[in-house]
Amino acid sequence: MAATAHPDRNFKYWLISPAIFLLLLIGLFPLIFSLVVSFMRVTMLETDTSFAGLVNFVQLFHDARLWQSFVHTALVIVIALPIELLLGLAIAYLFLDRMPGRQILVSLLMLPTIISPIVAGATWRLLFDNRYGPINQMIGWFAGHPVPALWTVNPQLVYPAIIFCEIWQWTPFMFLILLAALSNVDRSLTEAAEIDGARFWRSFRYIVPPAIWPVMSIAILIRGLDLFRIFDIIWALTAGGPGTMTETVSVYAYVQGFRQFESSYTAAIAFLVIALLTVIVTWAIRRMGLAK
Amino acid sequence: MVNRRDFGKISLAAGLAATLGRPAWAASAADTVVKAAQQYKGRSITIVWEAGLQSLDPTHFSGPKWKELTGMDVKVIEVATAEMFTKIMQDYKSGAGAYDALNVIPAWMPDLAQAGALEVLDPYVEKYGYTPELQTIASTFRDNQMKVGGKIYGFPDDGDVFLMYYRRDIFEDPTIQKAFKDKTGKDLAVPKTWADFDVVGAGLTDILKDKGIYGAAFFRQPPYAMYMFEERFRNEGGKFFDADTMKATINSDVGVKVFTGMRKENRFMPPGVEQFGFVENLATFLQGQSAMTISWPPYGRWAEGYGTDQEALNWVPKTAIAGKVGYALPPGGHPELAAGFALSISSTSKNKDAAYLFIQWLNSTDVSRQRVQLPYTLRDPFRDSHYTDPGYLALWPNAKDYLAALKQASETGLLDLSLLQTDKYEEVMRQAISKLWAGDDPKTILNAAATQWDDITQKIGVEKQKVVYAGWAAKSGAYPKM
Repeated sequence: MAATAHPDRNFKYWLISPAIFLLLLIGLFPLIFSLVVSFMRVTMLETDTSFAGLVNFVQLFHDARLWQSFVHTALVIVIALPIELLLGLAIAYLFLDRMPGRQILVSLLMLPTIISPIVAGATWRLLFDNRYGPINQMIGWFAGHPVPALWTVNPQLVYPAIIFCEIWQWTPFMFLILLAALSNVDRSLTEAAEIDGARFWRSFRYIVPPAIWPVMSIAILIRGLDLFRIFDIIWALTAGGPGTMTETVSVYAYVQGFRQFESSYTAAIAFLVIALLTVIVTWAIRRMGLAK
Repeated sequence: MVNRRDFGKISLAAGLAATLGRPAWAASAADTVVKAAQQYKGRSITIVWEAGLQSLDPTHFSGPKWKELTGMDVKVIEVATAEMFTKIMQDYKSGAGAYDALNVIPAWMPDLAQAGALEVLDPYVEKYGYTPELQTIASTFRDNQMKVGGKIYGFPDDGDVFLMYYRRDIFEDPTIQKAFKDKTGKDLAVPKTWADFDVVGAGLTDILKDKGIYGAAFFRQPPYAMYMFEERFRNEGGKFFDADTMKATINSDVGVKVFTGMRKENRFMPPGVEQFGFVENLATFLQGQSAMTISWPPYGRWAEGYGTDQEALNWVPKTAIAGKVGYALPPGGHPELAAGFALSISSTSKNKDAAYLFIQWLNSTDVSRQRVQLPYTLRDPFRDSHYTDPGYLALWPNAKDYLAALKQASETGLLDLSLLQTDKYEEVMRQAISKLWAGDDPKTILNAAATQWDDITQKIGVEKQKVVYAGWAAKSGAYPKM
């Protein structure tokens, strides 16, 4: 038999190389460029763009406002994430069984997640308005007298307001993912446990969470990362105030980059965030067993 | 009420009067540039303009008119005020040249000029003979908001200044006057000092609160309250910096007094006044719920109902106080020339000459007179002739008092602080004010703010900033002459 000529084995790489080049150009170039900028003295207001070495990175460690913003971010995550998870799980469990109008109710519940966060924030700002907002009015009905609560000004109220908005908007996301996960739990397991005399709480606790854990952990990770970069709702509600009390990392980075025009320092903040998130996400993936 | 048609007639009449009053051989600055611009027929220029009502000027009035006269298109790039500086700088840094003409807040001018983002206008002014008409811009604006380092970078184009608006019917009511006298032992009068303001505001709230009227209401959101602090701080004798060391002195006794007073006054203002912005405060005043307020000039026009029948102004609450409004300088007598706008040319523009012709035409005596009377935009009088314009004086019964107060305010007004990287200093002040409303100790807030100001100055360079501050402080409107 005459030997057939084999096609060039590298031809497939040639075929995909334009796409890879494009992806690198779009994804990697800005990253590398930002890294370069973080070692320079680029601000929009100065003509000096010389090499600065590690100056911007050293500044990170002396910047109390930056570390406060990490604390504020952590505070939002620590409070909002568990509440969203538990509330989402509870609502998903409620919707597990068939009920009249279930599909419509699920669709309605999902509405907050399809609203742009900046629009949601602006809407909540109006709702929280002391003078024209309905929230104070409704509280006033229950209190029996006008309640002039300053939700976006009073230090005692700003975090509850932000966290409430966050929970309102993103609990449905948890709900939907957990509903999908719960739907796939083998009912026979819980039914068997109940036949063996296990009460609802015991059968739920020992069967349901382990069964849905792979999905739930991904939901926690996604929402955790989302909360880490929370910006829109805070910007619309308080712009980081009063003072810098609700300034999260994203808000601070925005202020530095687009209000103070500190391009190089903002790039350094971005790389600090990338480094921290890489460590946290790697740890979380191992801890949650997602890698398996 | 004057509608758009009446306004057109008034403008036409005033325009004819102005034209007839000029010697036949002298072409106006507007005519000169219209002729010159015909060489650019078919070309298009872009101009950055504040989004919202302000931009109705070029989209509804000046842009179409310019096209009609010259055949040039004007593309308006609407940008929110908070984003204007960023967009202009981004365009300049990228070298894109997307913008030809710019609206620039005068306090930004040193930064933009130093960065090289603005075109020097002196050669154009000379080429198109604009010097005589520039001289008729009210001196405060002309002398303080036009040049950086002796070069022209922008034409002052908006006479923004704070005025006090008060309810004449309340201040002239004999029953209220008697109640006030009984309560305070003083005659009821429009306050001229902040000490008087406290007495009058608190007294009127006590007397009128049952009728749903408060002695005063202000906008208190930090971006607005910052201007009010800057004004009041200087009226009370405060200086922003020690001119020798460039150490911030906003935490002086004067600063603490002003901060303490500002928060104390909230007690006799409507509940939640800390959240009031431009619109909330406007609604409160126009609905007759506050006896005094301080704001930019449109409050005075809208309080009289001027232009509020226009579709663009359908969000402005219907005034319940038309014919009852008085105008005065804010306490201290030196109001803030808060913000304002100047017209500039982008240094990266590819149509500099064409763009210049447009801004000279906009800013010219003839055209600016019409623009400051547009009912639906926010440009305020800034030329000597605007304050005495017969058309403007006829817009509502006491427009004469309004224009007289604006003229007086322009003469005694105080400039916004303008340094290198001004917004960094302002950002600190905005945060300080939000902490003030949150209940922190005024002295502690101002000490922290002063430290932050010092850090900013250090970073920019003390000597560099000292020179810029000295230049600013030497201007006639920097500090009141005590």
